[in-house]
Amino acid sequence: MKDKTSNAVPDVDLFLERMLKDLDVPPRPLIIDRIKAEMDSDRPNLQRIGQLISVDVGLAAGLIQSVNSAYFGFRKRARSVHDALLMLGLDVASRAIATLSLRRAFPVNNRLERFWGASAQIAVLSGWLAQKTPHRRVQANDAYTYGLFRDTGIAMLLLRFPTYRQTLERANADCERAFTTVEQQDFPTDHAMIGCLLARDWWLPEEICLAIRHHHDHSAIDLTDSGLPVASRHLVAISQTAEHLVQQLTGGSRTEEWQKLGGSCLRLLELVDTDLYQLHTEAKSLLASVD
Amino acid sequence: MTDRTDRPSAATRQRRAATTPSANPLLDPITGFLTRRACLQAAIALAAEAATVATGLSAIWLDIDRFRQVNESFGHSAGDRVIAHIAERIRALAGVQCRLSRMGDDEFVVLAPGFDQASANDLARRLLLEIRRPLHVDELVIHPSVSIGLAVKLCDEEPVVWLERADRAMSEAKRRGRNRLVTSGDELLTRRLGVELAREELAIENALHRALENGELCLHFQPIVRPSGGVEAVEALMRCAVDGHQITPARFIPVAEKTGLIVRLGEWSLFQGARCAARLREQGTPTKMAINVSRAQLISPKFTQALHAALVCANLPPDLLELELTESLFMDLAPPVQANLGAARAAGVGLAIDDFGTGFSCLSTLKDLSANKLKLDRSFASVLPTDRRSFAVVKAMTSLGSELGMTVVAEGVENPAQLAALAEAAVDATQGFFHARPMPEPALMAWMAQRLQ
Repeated sequence: MKDKTSNAVPDVDLFLERMLKDLDVPPRPLIIDRIKAEMDSDRPNLQRIGQLISVDVGLAAGLIQSVNSAYFGFRKRARSVHDALLMLGLDVASRAIATLSLRRAFPVNNRLERFWGASAQIAVLSGWLAQKTPHRRVQANDAYTYGLFRDTGIAMLLLRFPTYRQTLERANADCERAFTTVEQQDFPTDHAMIGCLLARDWWLPEEICLAIRHHHDHSAIDLTDSGLPVASRHLVAISQTAEHLVQQLTGGSRTEEWQKLGGSCLRLLELVDTDLYQLHTEAKSLLASVD
Repeated sequence: MTDRTDRPSAATRQRRAATTPSANPLLDPITGFLTRRACLQAAIALAAEAATVATGLSAIWLDIDRFRQVNESFGHSAGDRVIAHIAERIRALAGVQCRLSRMGDDEFVVLAPGFDQASANDLARRLLLEIRRPLHVDELVIHPSVSIGLAVKLCDEEPVVWLERADRAMSEAKRRGRNRLVTSGDELLTRRLGVELAREELAIENALHRALENGELCLHFQPIVRPSGGVEAVEALMRCAVDGHQITPARFIPVAEKTGLIVRLGEWSLFQGARCAARLREQGTPTKMAINVSRAQLISPKFTQALHAALVCANLPPDLLELELTESLFMDLAPPVQANLGAARAAGVGLAIDDFGTGFSCLSTLKDLSANKLKLDRSFASVLPTDRRSFAVVKAMTSLGSELGMTVVAEGVENPAQLAALAEAAVDATQGFFHARPMPEPALMAWMAQRLQ
């Protein structure tokens, strides 16, 4: 049997994104570290992970619902969390759990809806782009997760500080200074640092956390000796490119980041403008299927 | 390079055997690779050859991550097919001169004659990326990853020892979070440091990485109590358990400082400590949370942002957070440290000087410091009430601290007699086993709630 390159990954992501919209019972994020600890043990015990998830009704329902959906096309139906884990495999299941829990960690808030929508689009395109770049230094899974979590710091700051909205507008419009520099003028911290600490708290791999921490640092993408792992630099470049495509295609939430970082991103990913044009066309149909 | 004229025959044999697997007991029926026993024989033969022609010889040890889950989720026959696919990927990259073995369920070894450090490293990296590609088995898409250990054979090294090094490097790759390559660093470390010490430190460093990845790190909390019975603050203390064994902070903090991991550990405790403080506040028992901060953290220009990120995420007022700093830190206040401490103080975060009286700082320097709390080292309380000279020193320091507007805390209180002496010396609060041992968060919450009643 020959193995072929997968195009299925972004579809999983689309699916997880839709799944998010269908759930009401908020899962407890505390569950994540318990599951993570069990998963990372040398001999992960499915029974035990199943028990942990079952305690949380929202999470259990979400998992069973997703595995039984037409998307996965299993003939057998999952009747328990244990079934769902067996059928999905731990990797896909754990991403489903993180995705379900991420938005539930933030209170339901209409002002954040657009923000989450944009994150989901960036995540989907990032996962897809990870497979399109010549040197595939990061997995589609990681690029997707990174895209989803990259700007959680913004959601946190919007929740805590009513005035952050104005700062955000100015940071988005600034053509010269780094995004985080503008934030730091008004606040003693910035969304990249907050996102990094949150991501670590969610037990995301350190490469993802560091990529979140430095995603507005010009030098972090450009310099090989910036101390940032190669995978982190690629994650940053991939998601910036994905964001650029999303903004071009949807015309929504414009920023000046591509003016500041675009050149570095393309250099790192070894893409040229004509590649970008090609990607633009393909991304269009992919994005159309997200909505 | 080695003379290859007689070499392809082995590879050809191996390939041929793959089509009629059951024919040869030295070959694995699923992959056509050498078995574990045959691998050792091959290693011995290659080592002898390499010695005569003085060429590089490398061992690359691969272990498929979480393979057990594949078997559990999809059954053993799917598992076998995954192994066969991965073996095919290894075969495609390794080239004819390499000897390929399957060591167990999900472990492979590539013996690479003629490969020095650089070329072996290159091959291992390519294997890492190649194996990572999604794999289609039946209608399933599997995303495999692999942990790889690499060891270049040293002169006069026993083949078994060489293979063990590759195996150990692979285990290290697993410990560091899987899906990565680790080169056996024994020879480097031997040069750099004393062997035993290096091994110990390396083990602790690995344990810390693993604890951070797996969540085997936690905070315990010890209350600081006023004479009235009120709680002045709670100190957060890091605990690290690996495989059920506790590593004491006295052992892991120095290693973390040396390797730079301390910044990540420090940010982690700020974040978790602030959260615990927020939960205490929610419970109706608002208490200051004291968190240990090291010089390495304070020298970073990002410290202030990390501190505030923790406060923002926890939604904690800054005056419920206090940073504990060692006395020695104040003796050499580099500008970035000063700037970070100034920013913390300006935001309303408390600063405490920890273990005071053990260093060599002069009492008069206290007036220049921005700290608002003085924590007297446990060595003072331990000799009370009998040692009257210590008592005099405690009394003098307490009086001086109060004059400077600082809260004075005595550490290490273990019995009522010590507590009485400290009360006589008029310290503002005490900390020690006599009140409570460091405890996990649920116990702390209960302890605080009970005190409220």
